[in-house]
Amino acid sequence: MKIAVLCKAVAGEVSEVKIVPGGKALQYQSQLLNINECDEYALEEALALKRAYGGEVTVLTMGSITTQNVLYLALAKGADKALRIDAQIQDSQAASIVLAAALRTLEFDLVLMGTQSRDTLSGLAGIATAERLGIPFAFAVTQVEMDGERSIKVRKELGGGRSADVKLPLPALLCVQTGIQPLTYVPPARMTRARQQPVRSRSLGDLGLTEDQIVPQGYRFLRVFPPERTGHVQFLEGSPQEVAATLLAKIKEVV
Amino acid sequence: MSRDILVIAEHWQGQVDGITYQLLTKGKQLADERGVGLSVLIVGNKLENAVEVLKDKGMDTLLVIDNPALEKAGAEVYATIIADTLRRTAPELVLIGYSLVGMELAPSIAGRLGATVMTNCVNVEILDGEFVVTRPLFDGTIHAKIALDQGVPAVVALQRGATPTEPLAAKAASVQSVAVDMQAIPVRSEVLELIEEPPSEVDIVKAELLVSIGRGIGDKEKITIIEDLAQALGGLMACSRPLVDLGFLPRERQVGASGKIVAPKVYIACGISGASQHLTGMSDAKMVIAINKDPNAPIYQVAHYGVVADLFGIVPALTEAAKNADSEAVS
Repeated sequence: MKIAVLCKAVAGEVSEVKIVPGGKALQYQSQLLNINECDEYALEEALALKRAYGGEVTVLTMGSITTQNVLYLALAKGADKALRIDAQIQDSQAASIVLAAALRTLEFDLVLMGTQSRDTLSGLAGIATAERLGIPFAFAVTQVEMDGERSIKVRKELGGGRSADVKLPLPALLCVQTGIQPLTYVPPARMTRARQQPVRSRSLGDLGLTEDQIVPQGYRFLRVFPPERTGHVQFLEGSPQEVAATLLAKIKEVV
Repeated sequence: MSRDILVIAEHWQGQVDGITYQLLTKGKQLADERGVGLSVLIVGNKLENAVEVLKDKGMDTLLVIDNPALEKAGAEVYATIIADTLRRTAPELVLIGYSLVGMELAPSIAGRLGATVMTNCVNVEILDGEFVVTRPLFDGTIHAKIALDQGVPAVVALQRGATPTEPLAAKAASVQSVAVDMQAIPVRSEVLELIEEPPSEVDIVKAELLVSIGRGIGDKEKITIIEDLAQALGGLMACSRPLVDLGFLPRERQVGASGKIVAPKVYIACGISGASQHLTGMSDAKMVIAINKDPNAPIYQVAHYGVVADLFGIVPALTEAAKNADSEAVS
C-alpha cells in the first residue's frame, strides 16, 4: 500500500500577531516549528499500516526550509520518502489546492493526516483536499484495516461515544483522531542519520500553480485579540492551604 | 424570495442533538436582524419524531429529506444531498454545528457549493451589514474577527456551547418534504454499522461535581491525587482527551467534543489548558475552577475561579481541607 502522510509544521507559541494590510493573512513572531500533534498520529498510523500490509510511506509538508525538521522526524520514525512543498500558506482552502496538486504528482492508495492543526484550528484542509482530488474521505478515524484488495474498513467517531464503521474504496483520504497509535520516541542518533537523507522540494510553479490561485477567497480579517474571558475569572492567591479553604467554601455554596 | 438563514439540524437516528437548538437561537437572532426567514434542513431516515419535535420550535420553514436509503449513507452522500438542496434554496448563510459530524460535512458541503466556509466559530454576528465570525487561532491563544464577503454563500460551523441556547417563541413551521433521487447520487463509501457505546458504570454526565485532569498531571501514577480529591468532594474524576490517548484513563471519563458533554454544578479543571474541543464539553458547568500554571491558558476564559499554581501543591491541600470539613461535620 502506498501511503502519503500530510504533516504540518506548526509554531509552538506565537506573539505580535497582526493583520497584514488587505486582511487576507496574519503576520506573527513564532518560536520553534514542530510537527502538528494530530498529524504525528497520522504518521504513526501510516507506519503501522506499512508494518501490517507492506508498502511505502511518503511524508509531505508545506512551508519554508525551516519546516524540514518535520520531514526528518518522519524519516527517522520510518517514512521512506519526504517531500517539501516550498510555499507559505495560511488559508486552509488555498492549502488544499496546493496539497491536491502535490498529491496528483505522487502515486498513492491512501492519504492520512490529522483532524486539525493547532494554528488555524479549522479542521478543513483534509476534506477540502479530498474534495479537490475527488476521492472518498472519513473524518476522526480511530481504526483502519484493509478490507479486500482495493478497499479499507475504518471506524470513525461521531461524538458522544458514538461511532460508525465505514467501508471506503481506495484511493481515499482519512483524517485520523489523536490516540489512534501510540507516539514513538526517536533517539537523537536516528534523527542525525535521518538528516542525511535526501528531501525533495517542489515550488508552486513545479506543481503548475501560480500565486493568484492561492489568494484566500471570501473573507478578510478585521481584528485579532486575546480571547475575552466569559467566566470573569477571579484569581485566588495565597498559600495552598488558604486557597484550598476559599475554594472549598465556594464549592460548598453550590453542592 | 428573500434569502433565508438556514440551520442544518444534527441528529442521531432521528433524535435531535442539542446543538441544533443552539444553532436555531443564533439563526433566529440573525434572521430577525436581517429581516429574512429562518429555515431548518434535516436529512436522514425515519425522521417523523424529529420533525414532530422541531416543527413548532420557531423556524419559518422546515425542509425534510427523509429517505430509507440514507440509513447507511456515508458523509459524501449527505454532503451531495445537502449541497443540492442549498443550491436550490440559496440561503444567505448556513449554520452547522462544529461537532465531529459537522466537521466532516462542512468542508464537503462548502466545496460542492463553492461557498466560503468558517469553522470552529464561537460567534457570528452582523456588523455594518456583513456577517462577521469570531474564531480561535493558535491553540486558542488568539481570537480573530473575520468578515465574510457579501453575495457569496457562506457556511459557518459554530462550536457547541459557544453561543447561548434559548427556547424560541413557538410557531408552526411550514414543513416541506424535499424529494431526492437517490439513484442519481454516486455512492462510494458505505456505512457498515453504527455503534453506540453501552452505558458505562461510571457516568460522568450525571455527576454534580467533576475533578477533571489534563496533560498537566505528567505521570499516570500521579492520577491518584485527583482520585483522592474527587472522592473527598463526593464527585467523580474526569479527564481531557490527551489522557485517553496516552492510555492513562478509559474513554468513559473523557470530557469534550469527542467524549462526553457535561454540565455539573462544579467542574474543577486541573492541568487542563482548555482546547476548544474540551471547552465544548464543559462550558455549561455552573461553576468552573481552573488550576493551571499558565495564566494565559484558554481554560481561564470560561473559569469562574482560577489558581495559577502547581496542581501538586493545591490539589492535596484541597483534598485535606475537604476531608477535615467532613470529619468536623461528623463529629
